[in-house]
Amino acid sequence: MTDDIRPDDIRVDVTGLRKSFGSLDVLRGIDFATPRGTSTVLLGPSGSGKTTLLRSLNALDTPDSGVVRIDDVSVDFSALPPGKAGRDESARLRAQSGMVFQSHNLFPHRTVLQNLTEGPVVAQKRPVEEVVAEARALLDQVGLADKADSYPYQLSGGQQQRVGIARALALKPRVVLFDEPTSALDPELVGEVLAVIKDLASKGWTMVIVTHEIRFAEKVADQVLFLDGGVIVEHGPPGQVIGDPREERTRRFLRRVLDHG
Amino acid sequence: MRQVFRGAVLLLLLLIVVPAPANAQQEQPPLVRVGTEGTYPPFSFHDPRTQELTGYDIEVVKAIAAKAGWRLEFVETQWDAIFPALDARRIDLIANQVSRNPERAAKYGLSTTYTYSRGVIVRRTGDDRIKSIADLSGKTTAQSSTSNWAKVARDAGANVEAVEGFAQAAALLQQGRVDAIVNDNIAVLDYLATTGSKDVEIAGDAGQAGSEQVLALRQADSALLAQANQAIDALKADGTLRGISQKYFKADVSVENGGAADLSEGRGQRSTWDILRATAWPMFVGLVKVTVPLTALSFAIGLALALLVALARISPYRVLSGLARAFISIIRGTPLLLQLFIVFYGLPQIGLKFPPFTAAVVAFSLNVAGYAAEVIRSAILSVPRGQFEAASTIGFGYAQTLRRIVLPQAARTAVPPLSNTLLSLLKDTSLGSVVLLTELFRESQLAAAESNEFLALYSFAGLYYWVVCVALSAAQKRLETRLNRYVIA
Repeated sequence: MTDDIRPDDIRVDVTGLRKSFGSLDVLRGIDFATPRGTSTVLLGPSGSGKTTLLRSLNALDTPDSGVVRIDDVSVDFSALPPGKAGRDESARLRAQSGMVFQSHNLFPHRTVLQNLTEGPVVAQKRPVEEVVAEARALLDQVGLADKADSYPYQLSGGQQQRVGIARALALKPRVVLFDEPTSALDPELVGEVLAVIKDLASKGWTMVIVTHEIRFAEKVADQVLFLDGGVIVEHGPPGQVIGDPREERTRRFLRRVLDHG
Repeated sequence: MRQVFRGAVLLLLLLIVVPAPANAQQEQPPLVRVGTEGTYPPFSFHDPRTQELTGYDIEVVKAIAAKAGWRLEFVETQWDAIFPALDARRIDLIANQVSRNPERAAKYGLSTTYTYSRGVIVRRTGDDRIKSIADLSGKTTAQSSTSNWAKVARDAGANVEAVEGFAQAAALLQQGRVDAIVNDNIAVLDYLATTGSKDVEIAGDAGQAGSEQVLALRQADSALLAQANQAIDALKADGTLRGISQKYFKADVSVENGGAADLSEGRGQRSTWDILRATAWPMFVGLVKVTVPLTALSFAIGLALALLVALARISPYRVLSGLARAFISIIRGTPLLLQLFIVFYGLPQIGLKFPPFTAAVVAFSLNVAGYAAEVIRSAILSVPRGQFEAASTIGFGYAQTLRRIVLPQAARTAVPPLSNTLLSLLKDTSLGSVVLLTELFRESQLAAAESNEFLALYSFAGLYYWVVCVALSAAQKRLETRLNRYVIA
């Protein structure tokens, strides 16, 4: 399906992304595109560069070279100016996405509702009443309407991560980035979070997801990228990459993960 | 809101940094600032009934001012700070039984003599090792270290323990910590009569020559000196000086051989309870008008500076973090008292002269900044990295992240150690007593010098400090509970 889409349907467009930490090459030339309203899942062994790739999409990590375009904002990292101008450009790219962290990173000193409204009200300077109404709707969507005035410490791990997802959505991002959203959770709490993400996919959110949940990836992904050693080894629809992998490296990885899963 | 806060901090800093105009223009009548100890009875002390500064030297200088047409302002400080204060133009004249000697005559403008007296040696009663000045060789005496009497003692071969006035010296002698004191005959007679002490006695004269006491001015102020000399001559001629002397000493010390001073009546003895009752209010005033405002202002400004220093310290810019590191190192590596002296006595030499309260605020807030910067820095670093990242992904810039996300969480970590800093500061403001601030501790010193009730008065001052500290600790506990509300169920 990636072959017959029109250019203006592309939400996330990555070309020639490279990044090294010292002598370690983490990303060695990454190219991919995520069409609007689709989910892209990044799979790969640890150290394959998938988290660095995800964090490059919102410039939490700064690639050495390559271009990231999200909707109408495009940053060429090899031409990134130094100092404040560069930080401003990175911030403009970052503002295009919402991020869900592995360890949720909720603000512990703010209530659940405040965690959602902080960004839209303070950074985006949108009217408070409107933002609060939307935030309550989002909490309802993730099943936490009754927790609006709780503090994060009063919630379970799964509930905290659902708030983290709602916080990312409250920013009205062009794309939602998930960095291993269930890895830090107790097994019995994983399901409720995956259910929420699946629901978002059906509602047409554009998403890029790093995860180890293969069965979940099969169900939710429109496109799967398998990374190893800083390059995309194999990509395509889940039925192909997960169901019938062509590359030996992919097969070995899937065997290992599915055995333990 | 942010702008208002910023503006307020900036304004405060300006108020403190911009030096007060030095020596306002010469109006009529001229204002003469008189430096005196206020703890040297019967020459310069506080009347225990009225708390007013009084004494022989005070009345003499008031009489001189009346003749010369001066307005007077008295500045009280301990002896060893008096000449530096004159040099730094914080005072214009010293009226505190300054003995004439060649060194002082070479450096200062000294007036006509207004007191003739002699030095005596004081020993513990019956200590026969000390009979004359020659016996001081190898012994230890207690003196104000820059006084003429200290010089006499040193010249006789004695080791001099530095003290802050006669009352302290007498206490050390009585306690057996020193062997003798050399001081003015009259001061000693006053002490013996007032305390009724039988523990110490006059052993004999300190040398043959009498001693002449004068006013000391800056050499450059020759016009002022001429006015003073004219006035002294006139007061001698019309009998005013004789009158003041008779009132205090029952003898005329303003001329040579004017009779033996007699202070046997003393200044009236009072019970410890009376002294405490009379001093409680002035100490409270010192606490409320100086100690507490000095603490509050220094802490507020110090915290604001500390935040800036902490941010500079963790900034990626090498120059900035290097400067912050150097500042912290200097503040923490030098004594607070020394910092206070540099601001108060040192900076005027390069044209930066602050009034005492401002100088103290500058020194104390810089000191707080040095210590609190490290507390704030480690508190900021204790906030998980993920919080900074999450703030950045919801669109926050550096300042918003700091103010809305990081500092509220860092506050939880920082409150207990910062409370320690505040409590230390409150007590450290007692050092203000050495830079002309009449704060709580200085009031207790004044009363102790007059009455020699050290234990009762210092304990009472300690009680005031303690009560304020208890209140602050209670406030700290409430604040901690408040800040903990989102982490503990």
